[in-house]
This record gives sequence, structure tokens and C-alpha cells, in this order.
Amino acid sequence: MTHLLAQFQSIKISCDRLVIAVKDVSDLWPVVSEKVEERAPFKRAILNNKTRHQVTVDNLPAEFLLTTDSRIKSRVPQDQLFFCFQEPYATVVLVTCEDLDEFKTILKPRLKLILQNEEEWFVVFVSKAKSDHGSKMERKVYGRLEVDFNSRRRERCCKFDLHESEATFWDDFELKIMECIRNTLDRRIQFYEDEIRKLNEQRLTPVWSFCNFFILKESLAFMLEMAQLHEDSLREYDELELCYMETVKNADKEREFGGLDHGDDESAILNRNNKQLTQIVLDTSFRQFEFQQYLFACQAKLLFNLHRPFDVASRGFSFIVSFSEALALHESNLPFCMREVWVLTSCLRLINATAEHFRDGQVAPDIEREYYRIRGELYCLSRVKFMRLAYLIGYGSNIERSPVNSALLSMLPWPKPAVLPSLPSDASSEVLAKEKAILEVTPRSKHFGIQRKPLPLGPLSLLFDAYNINVENSADTSKLAEVYVAAEHALRATISDPGLWKSLSSLEELETKNLELSKGAADSYYHAWWKRHGVVFDGEIASVYFKHKNYEQAANSYEKVCALYSGEGWQDLLADVLPNLAECQKILNDKPGYLTSCVRLLSLDKKLFSTKERQAFQSELVHLAHSEMADPVPLDVSSLITYSGHSGPPVELCDGDPGSLTVTLWSEFPDDITLESLSLTLTATSNADERVKAIKTNGVTILNTGRNTIALSLPPQKPGSYVLGVLTGQIGHLRFRSHGFSRGGPADSDDFSLDKPTRPILKVFKPRSLVDLSAAVSSALLMNKPQWVGIVIKPLNYSLKGAHLHIDTGPGLRIEESRAIEIEKLVDNDNNNSSKPSNVPTECSQINLTNGSIKLPDWASSITTILWIPVCAISDGLPKGTSAGVISTQRPSIANGLRTLSLKLEFGVSHNQILKRTIPVHFTDPFHVSTRVTDQGSDGSLFLQVILQSQVKASLTIHDVWLDLQDGFSHAGRGDGRPTSGMFPLVVPPASKSGILFGISLGTITNEDEEIVVHGDTIINIKYEICGDRNLGSHTPISLKPEGPEDGDVTPVLTFKSGLVLQRPVQEPLLAVAFLPLPSNGLTVGQLVTFRWRLERLTNFDSKNELLYEVNANPKNWMIAGRKRGHAPLSSKQGARIEISIMCVPLAAGHVRPPKLNLPSVNWANVCCNPAGPHLVCVLPPPLSSSFCIPA
Amino acid sequence: MTSTACFMIVSRNDIPIYEAEVGTAPKKEEAAHQHQFILHAALDVVQDLAWTTSAMFLKSVDRFNDLVVSVYVTAVSHTRLMLLHDSRNDDGIKSFFQEVHELYIKILLNPLYLPGSRVTSSHFDTKVRGLARRYL
Repeated sequence: MTHLLAQFQSIKISCDRLVIAVKDVSDLWPVVSEKVEERAPFKRAILNNKTRHQVTVDNLPAEFLLTTDSRIKSRVPQDQLFFCFQEPYATVVLVTCEDLDEFKTILKPRLKLILQNEEEWFVVFVSKAKSDHGSKMERKVYGRLEVDFNSRRRERCCKFDLHESEATFWDDFELKIMECIRNTLDRRIQFYEDEIRKLNEQRLTPVWSFCNFFILKESLAFMLEMAQLHEDSLREYDELELCYMETVKNADKEREFGGLDHGDDESAILNRNNKQLTQIVLDTSFRQFEFQQYLFACQAKLLFNLHRPFDVASRGFSFIVSFSEALALHESNLPFCMREVWVLTSCLRLINATAEHFRDGQVAPDIEREYYRIRGELYCLSRVKFMRLAYLIGYGSNIERSPVNSALLSMLPWPKPAVLPSLPSDASSEVLAKEKAILEVTPRSKHFGIQRKPLPLGPLSLLFDAYNINVENSADTSKLAEVYVAAEHALRATISDPGLWKSLSSLEELETKNLELSKGAADSYYHAWWKRHGVVFDGEIASVYFKHKNYEQAANSYEKVCALYSGEGWQDLLADVLPNLAECQKILNDKPGYLTSCVRLLSLDKKLFSTKERQAFQSELVHLAHSEMADPVPLDVSSLITYSGHSGPPVELCDGDPGSLTVTLWSEFPDDITLESLSLTLTATSNADERVKAIKTNGVTILNTGRNTIALSLPPQKPGSYVLGVLTGQIGHLRFRSHGFSRGGPADSDDFSLDKPTRPILKVFKPRSLVDLSAAVSSALLMNKPQWVGIVIKPLNYSLKGAHLHIDTGPGLRIEESRAIEIEKLVDNDNNNSSKPSNVPTECSQINLTNGSIKLPDWASSITTILWIPVCAISDGLPKGTSAGVISTQRPSIANGLRTLSLKLEFGVSHNQILKRTIPVHFTDPFHVSTRVTDQGSDGSLFLQVILQSQVKASLTIHDVWLDLQDGFSHAGRGDGRPTSGMFPLVVPPASKSGILFGISLGTITNEDEEIVVHGDTIINIKYEICGDRNLGSHTPISLKPEGPEDGDVTPVLTFKSGLVLQRPVQEPLLAVAFLPLPSNGLTVGQLVTFRWRLERLTNFDSKNELLYEVNANPKNWMIAGRKRGHAPLSSKQGARIEISIMCVPLAAGHVRPPKLNLPSVNWANVCCNPAGPHLVCVLPPPLSSSFCIPA
Repeated sequence: MTSTACFMIVSRNDIPIYEAEVGTAPKKEEAAHQHQFILHAALDVVQDLAWTTSAMFLKSVDRFNDLVVSVYVTAVSHTRLMLLHDSRNDDGIKSFFQEVHELYIKILLNPLYLPGSRVTSSHFDTKVRGLARRYL
């Protein structure tokens, strides 16, 4: 049946749609042809597919052909049922007749004759009549026609009225045609299937021929394709391919493979008409090369018709891969590099064709991804083949030695032609040119002087082994050139596509094509979300741009590559690309980018670059850092400079203390690096928002490679715990920062909760008292005598090293600067070792006061010490004695002896801690003196008892006491003012009293004496010694003189003077004043009260008949009504009386002093008060006003 | 034993945390570089494949001429043990992966090991190479 192939081929070409035969019985075709042909293609057809399922087909193409047409007439005889697919699928008979007789006699027999062999036919009666009569006749004829030709099962007639509405007719017409087509199609499918089954049954017999099978199968497929049943058609082709692979390909080992014709290098996988079937099949042998391509082309066409470009791509890719293997098997018979060229062109065809048909968004997203992935693979594959061809003809040195090129080119099998191409005889000039070109190419040296062994592109066992060429040997260059030229010639013979050859003809073209393929691959992979594949090609694109000096785009592409590799931490791969990016950036003068690249290079694993190379990175970095930069950006050197606090517990500081923080820095720089400044922030753990000020080092820091320890001085911080924050600093003009992640650790692994609890490096305690200052004694010291006042300095777990104490005295206190201040260790007396006195040997030193402050000795820095300050309290006034037994309000207040010492202690590392304390110190006189007249003689002599009460916690020894009497008194007895009995020395124990008796007598006062009054007061002089412990209170006064040898034991005798009030008794009462009792109901605020005094003249001491009086009252307490001052009439006779009354309103409640009556003209000593007025009166608060208290 | 084999552990952040050339073939400087490149690209395939199956062992996810990439994806941490090899001993490879996985879990249990950081234990390295000799 091989002879049928040519016929089959021609039928297939001529017949591309269903044929409908038109039997024009009454010459009507010219009239109706236009309208009939308009119906095709049929908009909607319902057909049965191979499995007898109804399928709706849109736009079914069909062709109306007259039975007289040569295309029908010339068709093969009926016995060749193989090609029945080309036969008409329906026969339409066009008739018209107006005469019933004519119909009966002529037309009907003729129609019967025509249709006797037809199965699928119908009659269209065309009504042409314009007149009513004519149409009536035609109707009759048509009626007859229906009776004669319609059967019970099937109506086979329809009437087409030329002059009336057509719509219903055409529906009917199409319905009938479809019925015919469907029936014919079913019958023919059945026929082919039967035939194929028959053949299949014979498949294992020797008579079986694949050719028959092929013709039948393809005829069926072709018919189904014509009927737009693409799915079914595709299935036929698939079965055909399967059958071919199973039977022919393996059985027929010796068959011709094909692929030797000119132009076979160009892929025909999408061009099924590339070769005639007769070319494909030679002597019943199907040549694999052509036939498999043909089958794939048929399948591809159907898939495109089915809008499945993805399937074309995916089937195509696997077809290319498997077919490429087949080509490899026959490589020795094929032209030089035929396989590479074929794969290259196939991929490109497939890419272009599928891209034309593929529309984004038409298919499911995962299909779309898959499509792009395959497209990427196709681009990648074609690129490999292209590069390989380029390599073979001598462009190897221009190919980037990247990992992708190296892996793809050197690890995949290379062509192994049986016979290596030989050099044409006339090619010597070409060889020379090539040789020159080879020698001219200088391998591109990497930036930073990086030395790498270039990655291989071709396996060493390639061509060069065959020619015995050592690539490394420069002497073989001419031989190499010859190889290249020979390959070029051979390739030119192989490649038939001028476009492809042009791409290989020059370096520029080569790079353009390479760029195109790389871009296609990258884009496709990105669409497929295969970023790692995509980025590889970005690197290739970048290298081409770089060669074209398009540095900007090269940098962009390299950036992408580096971002992915560094993001995923593939350092080996990054190390390959990053120098290129850096070079671009340097050329573009992108200083920030270049700096970053240098830092990244330095932070890569050390073993990836040699020390020399790393030094080059660093020197670039340092050089740039010191150059002027327009817009310097902070550089992140986290990977190069890492830091941590010292191990062990955190530094502990008290609030307000500065400190020093030791930080360990690791430098990953290959050389020492000079940092112009360095600072480190501390972050409070309690409050993350609060970032304390950075702490800085002073001056330049030089970091050695590896570990460095740096001490940073720490200003006082707020209380809390601190962790190390960010390290910042400057290299040259360049600011840098390091956030301190350790090398190698994952930077962003959130999922493992890797946040190592950051160790606090610094703890600043809350403010607490660090030292206590208090007075050492509680009892009073001696007034007006130099005394030691003790200050206890108690450090509370805090060193007072270098502390300064400023001492300032309050009013009335003076520091005796002639004596040094003593400091000694405080002996703890709280213990029960009371048996041991406090005079255990202790450390003691003396310090001189300078400018009001002292420096504490170092030995005293951490122990409780006591500081003895020599002071003297000054009190100018003479102490006054009081009358014993009288509750004296004039007793010197305790405040009189109070003095203060203001202390300011500056301590801490830099005297930052300051404690201010004002310490009260009590001073007192040694004695309190009170007097009492024990008895009185009638002659005016008195026994005056002077009671001395010790006011100090010290033993007092009185050696001598004498009185200096005021005027009006004189000494009795010896007259020396000494006591009546001498029992000195008299020892007065602390807080005890002793009495001394003096005898005195009243003297007379002369008016002359008053002018020379010397002694207004009586003064008692006491010579005494004091013996006390300064730890307890008063003690022997400090000797201010330079210490003599004799001063040690001698207790100085001191003198104490105190004034005494001695009142002469009232000798000559002139007037008696009596305070008349107040009303018994008491005094109330706001109520008038009358104070009354009765005056009685006891003697007639003057001749006046009136007496001056005045009433004094505190205006705050009393409102006085009436005259406060005036002359009261009082007769000069003895016994004259008068009552002075005055109205007052009490203003304040409480015990208040009442108004007092004064008589300015009479000496108060001559006034006798009997009864005396009260000191205080009680004033009640005002009664409640009821008007405010009544409830509403 | 397989002549060419490159074993690598890739953390879930796609960072290689351990790598070893475990083949018997003499080491070539460029081979490691190419193997890294191939394994890195294979991550694209693994990323698509890993979610389509519940199996941990994905055999022959990617091919490169006669080199095959097999991958073992750990269940919890999505760490990928990747092997580029030229042998076809699937059972051996599977056993190798399982044992290395156990070793890796032991590494993870080490409190001083920061998950996701490089595995630098020489003990681990020795063991892995031993397993490679045994199974591949």
C-alpha cells in the first residue's frame, strides 16, 4: 500500500473540510448557490464522536460541490474505502417543476435513478413562481414530491421559496444536512474502526504492515479533524505514535533514521507539511527522524486547535529531550552538530509557537506556572546548545565562566562525531585570523585582583583530545585555531537557517542572541516562581550587559543575583558574583553600593577568599571611607564587627555613679582597622523605648583582627538593667553601625524563637542611702569651750574612697582650726564586750581642714569611722539663774544651746554622690543655777542657797565659788563672797544637784549710788573641772595651745559665771493693789467683762491727789473699752482708796494673760500686791449661735 | 559506593548549614562549585514538590545529565537533606537520609546549637561520611 501514500498525501492537501454534494437537476445552482454557500461553515452542529457521544461543534467547515465538479468526479473509485473521508457527506438534490405531469413522467424517474445509490440525501424543491397560479401548481408538485420521497421514518424534502421568507427553510435545510453528515460520519468511523481492529488482530503476523495501519489510522484522524472532533483526532495520533514506538522503532533496527536531507537540522516539529509522506516513508520503512516529527506536528496542531498550548509545550519539551537522545544514538551518521542545531531550533520553534497561543489568565494558575517553567527549560536548553555551538567555533573565551555555564556545558554530554571535521584546504587565512583572535583575547580579570581557576566549559575529553591538543599550552594555539575553523566550516554546512548562522557569525550577534535567550529564560522562570533558576540567568544577562559596558543594567541584574544568594546564605555562589557587582558599582561611582559590596565580601566565609584578596577589599573600603562622599550612608558592618559584654555577672553600679564598661569586639577585617570614633548604646531591659545615650570612646580606636577588649567610660545611668544596643562609629568620614548579631547565625529565624535572652551587661541600682552621717553623742557639750563633736560616718556597702567632707558651721559655732580633725575607727559598742573599754587601739589619724573640707583617708573608706571635729559654741549672754521652786518661764530654752553643723560628703568614683546632712549639736552650760532664800534674819541678813544642777554627762568638780553681789546686797561674814562653809572641792556627779549656802545681807541704796551702779546683777563665779568622755558628751575642753608635755594629765580649771536675780524684799510699801475677783461664770469671747483693781494708799508718800495708771493688754486677746491710761483721783491721805475698772472684751479663747495695771509714777518695788492678779485667765469660746443651727 | 555525591543540609530559611562531598571520585575544585549550583537550583523543584506529597523522601527530584538530586524533607522544621548523586541505589539513599536525619536531630537537641546555624560538629561530619560509605 506504499503506493497509496502519495495519493493520500495529495488528498490530505486538497481536502480540508467536509464535502456536501449538490445534484443540480433543474439548473438551479446558479440561482441558489450564493445563499446556500453562505450557510457554511455551519454555526452549530451536533455530531457523534468516536465513542458515540453527542458533541456540539461550532463552526463546522463544509464545502458545497456540484456532482459535476471535477473534484468529486476525479475521486478515486469506490473500492478504495481507505480514503472515504474525502467523499461527500450528504447529497442535496435541487429540483423545481411547475407541471405535475412533467414531474410524474420525467422528473420523478430521473430522481429515482439518481438517488438509487445514495444513502444520505434530501431534495430541495425550489419554488420560483411569481404568480399565484404558478405557486399553486408548484405546491401541487411539491405535495406529490413529498408523497413520493418522504418515508415514514425520515422526511427528505424541503421547499425553498425564492420569493418568500427563508428563515424556516434554512433551519430545516441545516437540520437535514446535519442529519446526513452525522449519519455518514458514524458510518465511516465505524468502517475505519472495523478496519483498524482487523489490522490490529494481525499485528503479530508477518503480513502486517505498519503502512496500512498508518493510512487507516491517519485517515480516521484526518476525518475527525475535518469534523472538528479534535480530541478524537488527537487520540488517534497518540495511538498511532504508540503503535509506532512499540512496533516499528524497535523492530526495524536496520532502518534508515533519516535527517540527512538539507534543512533537516531545522526542526519540523511544528510543521507537518515539511516533508511529503513519500519522503518520510521509504520502501515501507518509516524514517524515524521525519516520522516522529511529523506525528508531533500533527498532535501539536490539534492541541493548538484545542487551545492547549501548554500541552504543546510540555509534550514538546519531553519530545525534544527523548528525541535528542535518539539523535545522539545516530550522531555518527548525522551531519556535524546536527543534534545541537535541531534541539536549538526545536526549542525556539516551540517557544514562539506556544507563546503565540498562550494567553495569561486563560488557564488555571498552576498550569500557567507549569507552562512558564517549561518555557524556561526550553530557553535554557536552547541556550546551552547555542553556547555549545559558539564554543565549538572558537567563542569559548568569550563565554562567561559562571557556574551555570560551567555546569550546563561541561557536565552535559557533548557531541561526539565519528569523524572530526577536517580543515578545508583553502582556509589558511581564516586560521590565521582565528589564531590572532585567540591570542588577542585576554581573560577578563576579576576585580580586586581575585585569582580563580576558571570553571571549565567543555569536558577536556572533547575535540581537543582527539586532536591531541593541550588547551593550556600556548604553542598549540595555531592547532586550536585550525580546530575552530574546521568546526566552523562543518557547522556552516549543517546549519540551514541563515538567521541562526548569522547569530553565530560574529561576537556581537552571539551576545545579542545569548542575551535574548537568557532574558527569555529568566523571565519564564520568574513567571514560574522558580526564582533560583531565574536569578541564574540574571547573572548571565548582567555579564553580557557588562561586556557591552551597560553597567547600570548589569549592576541591577547582579544586585538581584546577590540578593537571592545572600538571602539564602549560599556563600560559595555569592562569592562568585559579588566581585562583579562591586566592579559595576565602582565603575558607576556608586560609592554606597560599592562600600556595601566590600563589606559583604569581607563578611563572607574566610575560606572563600585569600587573605590578600580580603585585604584588597578592606583597603578599598578604607580608601573610600576616607574620601569625600556626597551623600554618605551609614554602613552596616554587623557581620564584620561583633561585640559582646565581658562574661560573668553584669557590672553593678549605684544610682548616679559613673563606671567603666569593658566590651569585647571581634573584628573580622583581615587587617587592623582604625576607627575614628566608636560608641555603643545601652538599652534598658525594662523599657525598650528608652534608649540611653550612646557611650563613646575617646579618640581613635585601632581594632586588631580578632578579639579586642575596649573599655568604655560610662556616665551615670538611670536605675535598671541594661543590655548592649547598637555599635556605631566612624571609619574615616563613614558612619557605620553593627547590630551585633553573631556571624553565621540566622538573622531572621523567627520560627525557632531563637531570641537568646540577652544578658544584661550593666545593672544600675535604685537610689539608696550609701552612707550615713550622724552625731556621735546625744548629750550636750560645753558651751563656750572648745569641744570635740563626733560625727559617725557609716558607709553602707559603698566605698568612700577619696571622699571629701565639707564642714560648715551654723551661727554661733566655730571650728577650732588650730587643731586637726581626728578620725578613728568606730568601735562597735553594741556587742556585749562592755568589759572592754572603748579605748582599744584603733586606727586613728589626723586631718587638717583645708578650705572647709577634708579628705577622708583611704583606710576609712569602707569601715564605720568617727570624725572628731574641734568646735566651740559661742554664747555671748551671761547665763541667768532662776529662783528655785518657781516655774520659771525665763529658764533658758533648749534652743539657745542648739548649734548646727552642715556636712556635705562628696564621694563616689568622681565625687558624683553627694550627701548633705545638717547635724544639730547641743551645747550647754555646765550648771544650771537656781537660788533660794532659805531663811531671813530680822536684821536683813539672808541665807541664800545656790543650787547647782549639773547639765552635762560628765563629772564636775567644783574648786571654788564666790558671789559678786549686785547693789543693795553685801556679803555677810568674811565678806569675800565665799560660801559659808568651805567644802571644796565639791564633786557634782552628772545630772545631780548640789547646793551651796551663802550668807548675805541687805544693803541700803543711796540715790548717789544709783549713778555708779556697776553690778546690775549678782554674779556667781564657779571654778570647776570637768572630766568626761567625748564619746558621751561634754568633756574637758580641747587644749588649743600646742601640746606641751605637761598638758596631758592636767585638767584645766574652768570658770563658769552665771547671773543671779536677787530681789530686795519690798521694804516700804507705799501702795497696795488688789485685783478684784472676776465674775464666777467665767469669761467668754465677745462678752464684756470688767477688770477691777482697788488701790489703797498705805502712806502719804506724795502730796498729789491723783495717780497715773495705765492698763496694758495684748491687743490680740483683748479689746479695751475706755481709757487705758489716765490719772485716777486718789487723795494724798493715808488709807485713801480708789477702784480702777476697765471694760474689756476677750477676743480669743484659751488661757490668756489678763490686762495688767501699771503705775508708772510709782516704783514697782514699793507696791504691794495683795491679792495678786492671776497670771492667766481662762476665756471660753463664744456660745453657738442658734440661728445657724436650726434645721431648714 | 557512588563516585560523585554531594550532600547538603539546607535549613528552612534555605541557608546551607552543612555540606560535604562524599563521593569517591577525586575532588575537583570546580566540582563543589557546580554541585552547589545544581543543588541550589533544585530547591526550586523541591519547593514545588514538597507540598504535593506527605512522603519525606523525594527521590530524583531533579536531574542533571547523569547526576540526580534526591531530597529528604524533615517534617517539622522543613529542613532539607539534599543529595546530588550518580548512583541509583534508592534504598541506600533512603537509609542514608534516615540515619542522617537522626544525627541531625541529635544536633538539634544540643542546647548549645542554635537551630538554623551551621553544623560545625566534627563528630557529625565523621558520622555522615561513615554513613555515606555504608549506604551510597
